[in-house]
Amino acid sequence: MTPEANARAELLQLIDSKMNRTLKYYLDTCVRCAICKDACHQYVATGDVLYLPAYRAELIRRIYKKYMTGSGRLLPKLFEGRDPEDDVLLDELYKTTYACTSCRRCMFWCPFSIDTSWVLAVAKALLLATGRGSEILTQLADSAIDKGKNIDLYTGVIREVLKGSEEEMRRIVQDPSAGFVYDKQGADVLYVALAGTHTILPAAIVFHQAGEDWTLSSFEGSNYGYFLGDTVKAKAIAQRIVDEAKTLGVKEIVMSECGHAHRVMRDFYRMWAKEELPAPMVSILSKVDGYIKDGRIKVTPGKITEPVTYHDPCQIGRNFGLFEEPRNVVRATCSDFRDMTPNRQKQWCCGGGGGLVAETEFDDVRLKSGRLKADQIKATGAKILVTPCENCRLQIESLNDHYDLGVRVSAVLDLVVEAIEIKPR
Amino acid sequence: MNWFQYVFAGWFVYVALIVFVGGLIWQIVKWRRVAKSRIVMGMFPKPAGLGARSAKMLKDTFFFPWVLDYSKSIWLFAGAFHLAGLLMFVGHLRLIHEFTPLVAWLGASGMDQFAFLTGGAFGIVLTVALIYLLLRRFGTPYKDLSVPEDYLLLILLLLIVTMGNHLRFFGTVHVTDYRDYVMSLLTFKPAFNAAILSSNVPWSLTTHVMLACAFLIYFPFSKLVHSIGAFATNLVRSE
Repeated sequence: MTPEANARAELLQLIDSKMNRTLKYYLDTCVRCAICKDACHQYVATGDVLYLPAYRAELIRRIYKKYMTGSGRLLPKLFEGRDPEDDVLLDELYKTTYACTSCRRCMFWCPFSIDTSWVLAVAKALLLATGRGSEILTQLADSAIDKGKNIDLYTGVIREVLKGSEEEMRRIVQDPSAGFVYDKQGADVLYVALAGTHTILPAAIVFHQAGEDWTLSSFEGSNYGYFLGDTVKAKAIAQRIVDEAKTLGVKEIVMSECGHAHRVMRDFYRMWAKEELPAPMVSILSKVDGYIKDGRIKVTPGKITEPVTYHDPCQIGRNFGLFEEPRNVVRATCSDFRDMTPNRQKQWCCGGGGGLVAETEFDDVRLKSGRLKADQIKATGAKILVTPCENCRLQIESLNDHYDLGVRVSAVLDLVVEAIEIKPR
Repeated sequence: MNWFQYVFAGWFVYVALIVFVGGLIWQIVKWRRVAKSRIVMGMFPKPAGLGARSAKMLKDTFFFPWVLDYSKSIWLFAGAFHLAGLLMFVGHLRLIHEFTPLVAWLGASGMDQFAFLTGGAFGIVLTVALIYLLLRRFGTPYKDLSVPEDYLLLILLLLIVTMGNHLRFFGTVHVTDYRDYVMSLLTFKPAFNAAILSSNVPWSLTTHVMLACAFLIYFPFSKLVHSIGAFATNLVRSE
């Protein structure tokens, strides 16, 4: 074989290795009816066929048809069959794949429930194999893996930096012995935060008040390997937390307010590692909803009087199944709650998912496609926008400036801390 | 029957049926041979338990309620197109065996009238729907998404339906003669009887049957496998 033919065979083998039964169902079943077009915020906002969900998947399907089906091998022209090393195809694939926020709104409206984001996981593998992976996402993933390898170099510095936050925690909970809990063997809860104390302090206050037996993970829940589509890197990043949970022998892994980390831990890790988690993964939102219901923490009802609206992050609502838990918590703290239309499983993606807020090259489509969310927020007249996903918050902050929304963007736990009735312990 | 009719309205039918059934089985085997994903990719909210999941899957597949939510006109159009196609297929079964309860109810001439009205109406619905679907493919953004297969299938169906309309509205042949032809196929002695041969339909009937056979042969290897794939993909939705 010539080197070119060899390279092609390798790429095809890679694609084939990613093809499970469901993906074949998807690729064989799509009829290109394009009902998905109005489901995608990026297509609706730009009108560019590149962002039409069926077209995104079609790029992979044209390779699949030409090389992996009998009819396509016989009559490639009938399906506009393409080659996996085709530069024009790969350029288009790069733009459409890394722009996709994996919100799966197209799957919701598709008469066949086709999951475009899953087809794009194949596209990401192909892009990585042809040296076209997103550079910024690769750097972020690599640095997370590096942190896992050299954790001792990091922990001292991180814990030193967090001392100021611990001071603030003691002041709020009025308990001089309170603080962040590290490396606690046999703790009930391993709390996995994100980089930044804004995801640690509110949770620490809530855990303290609920009398939870908790310990803070040395690692952040976010996983740029997942956004990159590199399952080896993604697994290595998630593995850090799993190993920590094993070592500490915790009963639950509690995930902070981060959309994709919820799915990575509960749904994807099992596939990448081919093993179950050492302890069940529970969302912090379910935990706090439970604390309030069980009276373990008390919030002043209606403490927050400004109108509040809630954005369902795709990875927590439609793709993870938490619709009511966060709403219960938000409703408990405020007197004027206003849902957006549409909401829950039909909600519009904010436009920042899929790692997009970290990839400046997609700023244009990110801001344009955020218009739909911006219009929804405006229509509620809310002054506070609550959402439990870091990427959603960053995107909506960005929309706040761009579309002049005049809202305060807040995490769910921030509201809880604002409304909590501190009981001395 | 001349040799062309004998081949394309005769033996071609057997080839088509074998390829159609065999091809669909082959497609299912091909899917089943690929490993299942370890990951559950369902979408929330979703029912639990195979019974509730299957019920939802059947509802989603046959009534596509999300499309109704998305656009009432597209739902109506797609629904009418598929329903007319299905009922048209059912109507053809009359050529194998008369629907006796209907005849008992409507009388023999009433039945013929009923068949003329329903068959005619479905034929018109299908023609209009197919022309709409074809024209739609030439507009933005559909033309950028479409591949030749999309046009080929629509043109093929349009030709089949047009020939069917000719048989229905302009043909001078009675149902019993068509039944003779179908019986000749079922007994492996394909033939047009004298009434058909002396009428104005041999060319349209032959074209109708030949293209329908081509459609059946292509079916298992085309996007038309959505007719079976839909059950699987809609079940994954609640996985």
